[in-house]
Amino acid sequence: MLPWGSRASFRGRTIIHVGKHGIAMRGEIRDINSSKGANPPDSSVPRRLAAIMAGDIAAYSRLMQLDEEGTHARVKRIERDLIEPTIREHHGRLVKTTGDGFIAIFDSPVEAVRCGIVIQQNMVGRNTSQPRLQWIEFRIGINLGDVIIDTEDVFGDGVNIAARLEGLAEPGEVYISGGIYEQIKHKIVCGYESLGDRKVKNITDPIRVYRVLPDPAAFNRTRARRQNTLIISLSLLLLAGAGGVLWYFIAQTRSNIRYQTAAVETSPTLPSPAESQTAPPIAPAAPQPAPATVPDTQPATPPAAAKAVSEPEMITLPGGTFAMGSNDDSTEKPIHQVTLKRFAIGKYPVSVREWNACAEAKACTFTATGKDEAPITNISWSDAKQFAAWLAETTGKSYRLPTEAEWEYAARGGTRTKYWWGEQLQPGLAGCKNCTEVAMAELPSKVGSFKANPFGLYDMGGTIDQWVEDCWHKNYQGAPTDGSAWTEDSCPSHVLRSGSWRNDARYVRPSNRDSYDTNVRYPTHGFRIALTP
Amino acid sequence: MITRRFVLLAAALMALPRAAFAKGKPAGKDALLYFVWPQDGATIKGAFWCRFGLRGMGVTHAGDNYQNSGHHHLLVDVDEPLNPDEPIPQDKAHMHFGAGQTEARIELPPGKHTLQLVLGDAEHYPFVPPVVSKKITIRIK
Repeated sequence: MLPWGSRASFRGRTIIHVGKHGIAMRGEIRDINSSKGANPPDSSVPRRLAAIMAGDIAAYSRLMQLDEEGTHARVKRIERDLIEPTIREHHGRLVKTTGDGFIAIFDSPVEAVRCGIVIQQNMVGRNTSQPRLQWIEFRIGINLGDVIIDTEDVFGDGVNIAARLEGLAEPGEVYISGGIYEQIKHKIVCGYESLGDRKVKNITDPIRVYRVLPDPAAFNRTRARRQNTLIISLSLLLLAGAGGVLWYFIAQTRSNIRYQTAAVETSPTLPSPAESQTAPPIAPAAPQPAPATVPDTQPATPPAAAKAVSEPEMITLPGGTFAMGSNDDSTEKPIHQVTLKRFAIGKYPVSVREWNACAEAKACTFTATGKDEAPITNISWSDAKQFAAWLAETTGKSYRLPTEAEWEYAARGGTRTKYWWGEQLQPGLAGCKNCTEVAMAELPSKVGSFKANPFGLYDMGGTIDQWVEDCWHKNYQGAPTDGSAWTEDSCPSHVLRSGSWRNDARYVRPSNRDSYDTNVRYPTHGFRIALTP
Repeated sequence: MITRRFVLLAAALMALPRAAFAKGKPAGKDALLYFVWPQDGATIKGAFWCRFGLRGMGVTHAGDNYQNSGHHHLLVDVDEPLNPDEPIPQDKAHMHFGAGQTEARIELPPGKHTLQLVLGDAEHYPFVPPVVSKKITIRIK
């Protein structure tokens, strides 16, 4: 039995379990300057730049009071099984251990921070089996500094700052200095929260402190909280300004809106195939783009000399009302009425050729290999957003990702059946694992290899998974009914539609929905573009 | 240890001609993938936090090609054998944790289910040899 309807909601803790590779010899660990110490013939003190890690156990005395021998044994075991091997695996050297803490140095700030995260997250795992009172929690501080290395110890301002950072850190957390941050910010996948400049004991200059958040979602939550007030006040200000502009637009487009409303009313809820096929595959006809629904990268006015770029073929769909969702899967419930405005959507998924134009313009991060007309694959949601932003900017038009409601409306092609062609699977109408006479082994080499749906759209179901604008929600409880994207400030995963050549027929259904991590690429994921006319 | 490496390398090389796509990275020696929770045979009421354990290798973001590290995949009620020449499938039965998650809130319909973890490399291919957990069976009340 398949867990049809099972979902995981992710909490992005990057806990890294590290193997126990035996017990290190103390001499070997202390041997931090053997390479240096053996060589320098001069009597001057050997100095070097290093990432210094200081760690200590929070509330050590309380733990000792509770159970002296037990705590001591546990701490020693943690040092032996976790701290020492983890430091070694990250090419660091344990300089010394104190009763409740340790100092280590690393050549690489990246390795140092990674090591800190591993230690902290491993401790989370170790503590879960213990009652709260007996948790051993480390505080870790990491600083980049010029230090003097002695056989048994390490000295210098840099060490003191690391120790102060450790003192500032909350139990279970890693705090780093500005110097470390500058080295690692683009290299380690995790969030960093700036805690500003802090004045610490016996250090003249304040130090810039960052809190490492191994879970980007946590980072965003924190940021959201912190910025909420700022955003609210800012948006109030903006609203006041936008009000005037909006008034102008409303006045200007009133006639146009009236026309659209009429179109919605006159166009049947379920347009017939013939009718929709006659819908001209036009690009934007509306005189005014609607800036309110446009990604923020959209310039206020189209650039005067927009570079000529071949735009994806678009099909404009009249607005309308449709029943979104189905009872086939828990993620597709409840079925709800959605009314959308007129919009345009790509006739095909974005192709390799279209993507590579963006890559050539250095606006998309990688150049794809593969046939020009094949759908672009291995795209993360963020990649797709980059493409949409670039296309909008170069053309001055409101290109964007489709919303989830728009996608389903377009995929249904005016039908209410399980598939756009009816209730039964018919071979050869879509590209999926068991939708064709001969099982599909690979991605179609060309977009539009299967029959178009009644709206004249190709590959709306099967061929390639397609990102939409919406954040992932496990069902439609609380979903918008105006066709807009259902988003939050930041979300760890976004919605995928269509299913791919590697999925079976259930995924081809227009109501099928799935999710994937926002920033992760996968070989069956692509997208198509939408446009607010 | 060195012989072991060679065996792995040889295995990886031998896998190459079989399919053009076979490009899983070599697994870490003594890598162990396991469920911290739930345990085999557990009966659970409602949704639960599934916690993934990994020894001998590290967890990283999908796409990051750090040596000896990968990302988790949770297979729910999957009976088909794992194809080492293909990326681990992405569907409702193969949950991906490419952001480096080591736990997930799982909601399953009542009844018996099997769970299995598979570690994938930067390109979502299984390692060579595959790093998989024991397949456990749980019951949802």
